[in-house]
Amino acid sequence: MTEILFFVEVVVAGLLAGTMYSLVALGFVLIYKASSTFNFAQGAMVFFAVLAFVGFMELGLPFFLAFIVTILLMGVVGFCTERLVLKPLMNQSEDTLLMATIGLGFVLEGLAQAAWGVEVRRLDLGIGDFPIQWIIDTFGLFVSALDLTAGLVAAVLILGLSILFKYTKMGLGLRAVADDPGAASSIGIPLNNIMLLVWTAAGVVALVAGMMWGARAGVQFALVDLALKALPVLIIGGFSSIPGAIVGGLIIGATEKVLEVYIGPYFGGAIEGWAPYVLAIFFLLYRPEGLFGEKIIRRV
Amino acid sequence: MTSNSEDILKIENIEVMYDSVISALHDVSLSVPRGKIVALLGGNGAGKSTTLKAISTMLASERGKVTKGKIIYDGTSVINQNPTEMVGLGMVQVLEGRRCFGHLTVEENIITGAYSRKLTNSEMKDELDKIYSYFNRLKDRRKSQAGFTSGGEQQMLAVARAMMAKPKMLLLDEPSMGLAPQLVSEIFKIVKELNEKEGVSILLAEQNTNIALRNSDYGYIIETGNVKLHGTADMLLNNDEVKELYLGISKEGRKNFRDALREEGSTKKENKFSKTI
Repeated sequence: MTEILFFVEVVVAGLLAGTMYSLVALGFVLIYKASSTFNFAQGAMVFFAVLAFVGFMELGLPFFLAFIVTILLMGVVGFCTERLVLKPLMNQSEDTLLMATIGLGFVLEGLAQAAWGVEVRRLDLGIGDFPIQWIIDTFGLFVSALDLTAGLVAAVLILGLSILFKYTKMGLGLRAVADDPGAASSIGIPLNNIMLLVWTAAGVVALVAGMMWGARAGVQFALVDLALKALPVLIIGGFSSIPGAIVGGLIIGATEKVLEVYIGPYFGGAIEGWAPYVLAIFFLLYRPEGLFGEKIIRRV
Repeated sequence: MTSNSEDILKIENIEVMYDSVISALHDVSLSVPRGKIVALLGGNGAGKSTTLKAISTMLASERGKVTKGKIIYDGTSVINQNPTEMVGLGMVQVLEGRRCFGHLTVEENIITGAYSRKLTNSEMKDELDKIYSYFNRLKDRRKSQAGFTSGGEQQMLAVARAMMAKPKMLLLDEPSMGLAPQLVSEIFKIVKELNEKEGVSILLAEQNTNIALRNSDYGYIIETGNVKLHGTADMLLNNDEVKELYLGISKEGRKNFRDALREEGSTKKENKFSKTI
């Protein structure tokens, strides 16, 4: 009985940790949908956003105000990206854009550190990384409060984005641009506004992801690399699918925890670091579009 | 800026270059009278699409540029505008190859056409009803994903989507492409109806000379980037050269390909095929 309980605990912890991967992956999906580019700067955006947030808090802004100001700042970052990077590169190949996002990543990392320094910050969201007593009493499971919060935040964010895409005019425009930017501009959908929206949304997602990760691991440069964990998540879930990002994150989270606990000891531990990539390779071999990736619709 | 001159569109001697080196149009002039349908005819690579894109300013996205001449649309000179601004001025292009948004439903596709307009929900509903009254077929399919509809339906969808922007002028690029003759006539019938009832002026590029001229008021034939011939649709339909080269009708009547080949073989002394054997 305790064996099973322990297994459930591992899976739940994995799933909840997975939602954090989902959050990062979500930022990638947004930009991939709109411009078919893998945004290498997403990790840097996570770092930039949360560092800015902590920086504003240190200036004495209350939590909520700092959050709003950071969102506005990410809007400015989105605007500058659209004007200075995307617009001049319009109609260039996707590879060119990909390279540009790598450059953008370096710029953001540099800017963030120049503005707010390089030392590791602590981010206290007022939610500890310890088990919740109520859940221990009712189910006998140890579930971290921070994990649970991350899960809830991810759920709210995803619901919000889905509503935005499905039911608003901007969302419709975005989906049109994702399908065929040329046709979208031929009927008067302003591409630059859509891009601005997408990059700002990706900035907000980056901020939330950064806050969750920062609260657990400290606000530090390593967040940039952590964001790359989103890559196997995207390969599994599909680059263009929001539900895919979520499910992919959950799968990666759960598998890596289970593997770590049960198989890890045979490899000398710490397989969490690379197990997701092995899983991703299997997906690339057998289902390259991912679980939820948009199938290419072709008329025959 | 609305002028009351009778031409809604006037192009004077434009030259177009791609990538600043490849010249696609040399000297094209044409005009579209308000409320009329004008056909732009010619074979592959003649410059039909390029002309349309020069007008709708979609050229820039393909690194093309109007290097000489001018384009006057509705009293405004078209120079540095972008496609979004042109749609705002009431000029919408239906791109070659339909280009529907495959992952959106048919109705969502139509709604995207009204992106440039601010409509309340009830106004949107009225607009949709109006569009469906022209395109009955689309009404039945409005919940299906556009990518899974037939070629004819997609072409109708592309025109319907463009009409949602409430254009004063529509540029149609090869609406007949890859469609069965019956569908082609259905689409041209709707286009003509839109022209008559909604008063939208139309410039259409076509390879299907016959059906295009029969549904137009005026026609221009371009070849390798130059206007070769122009005149009223009736005049062009009865022109011997047009008949011979574009309609496949010689003075002796309609000929089939085999006869034409045989004739060619007998006029040139040696048969083309004997050479290869």
